[in-house]
Amino acid sequence: MDMNLAAFERFAVIFQKGDLLFCEYEPGDAFYLIQKGRVQISKIMGDIEKTIDILQPGEIFGEMAILEEAPRSANAVALDDVKVLEFNRANFEVLMRGNPQIALKLLKLFTKRIYDQRRRFMILTLDDVHAKVADVFLMIDESQSTKDVGTGQRVFYTTPDDIGHWAGISPEKSREVLQHFVSQRRVEIYQDRIVVRNINDFARFVNSRRKR
Amino acid sequence: MPKASTYKANSVIYFQGDVGDKIYILQSGTVSLNSNDIETGEEIHDHIKTGEFFGVKSALGKYPREENAVVLTDAAVVVFSVPEFEQLALSNTRIVMKMLKVFSNQLRRLHTKVSGLMQGGTQSNPEDGLFRIGEYYMRKKQYAQAVYAFNKYLTYYPSGRHQADAARHAETAEQFAQKYGSGKGPSAPGFQGGSHGGNEANGGRGAGGGGGGGGQNLSDSAKAYYEAVSSFSREEFAKALEQFKQVAASGGDEEYVLKSTFEIGRCLFGLERYDAVIKHYTGLIQKFPKLPDLNEALFYLGRAYQESGDTARAGSFFKKILSMEDVDEGLRRKVNKAVRALEGN
Repeated sequence: MDMNLAAFERFAVIFQKGDLLFCEYEPGDAFYLIQKGRVQISKIMGDIEKTIDILQPGEIFGEMAILEEAPRSANAVALDDVKVLEFNRANFEVLMRGNPQIALKLLKLFTKRIYDQRRRFMILTLDDVHAKVADVFLMIDESQSTKDVGTGQRVFYTTPDDIGHWAGISPEKSREVLQHFVSQRRVEIYQDRIVVRNINDFARFVNSRRKR
Repeated sequence: MPKASTYKANSVIYFQGDVGDKIYILQSGTVSLNSNDIETGEEIHDHIKTGEFFGVKSALGKYPREENAVVLTDAAVVVFSVPEFEQLALSNTRIVMKMLKVFSNQLRRLHTKVSGLMQGGTQSNPEDGLFRIGEYYMRKKQYAQAVYAFNKYLTYYPSGRHQADAARHAETAEQFAQKYGSGKGPSAPGFQGGSHGGNEANGGRGAGGGGGGGGQNLSDSAKAYYEAVSSFSREEFAKALEQFKQVAASGGDEEYVLKSTFEIGRCLFGLERYDAVIKHYTGLIQKFPKLPDLNEALFYLGRAYQESGDTARAGSFFKKILSMEDVDEGLRRKVNKAVRALEGN
């Protein structure tokens, strides 16, 4: 996307490699457009920092701060020496008028984020914990572009703890549920991956548990 | 070019689950977007106003429609492809701004609901959360990041409940960041992961600070202590020994006096003055039977006996440590290694 950003040079901010651009829980009043370098979005869970995403030049982040000054939901760390344009509510309208491409890009970003959050919400509102876990696999499967059609078998490079996180349950509970699936021969657990024998079976199962 | 199109009452413009790349504006008539509430399953009927867009999110985001668009009374619409919509948006930012506001509101509401249903449902309040981020970075020796988080805490919660701790940690992190850089150097006091007896008696600090005007005194002790730690980490044991001795004799903040007294033994060990090590720690244990770093003291006693050739005594000290309950992993490994060395002899 070709954008005329020369006029926005005065909003440029430089960060050194390793710097925090913002951290979780900090009140946010700005969002950023990366011009140079990569930014890692991460969340601290217990005693590890989990990478959620790595963003490239041209990408936007921190966009939830546009409307209200709510706490950040993750950390943003400079992976390289980073240059970003920093926008807040004060200069936002000016930016949008001068550069509608960014506005459009932001709009598309919101549609994606809304979809992702809705999808997560659908998992979390299931009452049956087994259905929650099964639905996490369905969600990941939907986002994996390369599909081995023909068979229903799917391989997920993930861990029981991660599955538990998405399902909104404890790691222990997640392992217990997965073990149950293993005993039913619906799932196989390996060191580095989890295999779902038939994703269509999971889809039917989840649908039967969804409120209508 | 966008196309005008008409729909009869009771027809459906698109179904939930369809993948469509069209965006619509309602020109006349009535259209209802019907869906089921995710939480309750209840039916939702959302009536589109004349002049309003619909089908925007799923078309732009390229995902399945989330509702049935049902025509209630004969309707006229204008249909846009995604590129046509983009053209319109670029020349009319007011439309985009309006949508952005609606979308970000929706996203915020969803986000709040999702967070509420996450593991435990007990989301940290932002104040505690921010403080804990700082603590996390302290533990990981990512001092620059810790400084950032604690300073943000102090900016936003200048009289918050963690104010005193945040200020103290920020100062420590600053010193450690300058002295050692990220990921290096010893653990900051209170953030030891392995080598240093685990939980420090940080509680004592509050009492010490209560003595009015103790603040300055305290940070002097702290500074001197860190100077000494720094010498020790460069293996300048003689220098470190003198520095720790000064702090220990200063009568300053009790926490740092105790810590320094303990470190004197480690300096002596570094200087290979094993008799002095034995004397130092034996005296210390007699004086403070509940020494927080007791395990560690016993380890240096054992090692000192081992180095002086008294393997029987060394072995019994190591055995005692291993029989205790709250020995952290790092120390346990060191003791096991020492025991293997003993058995090898």
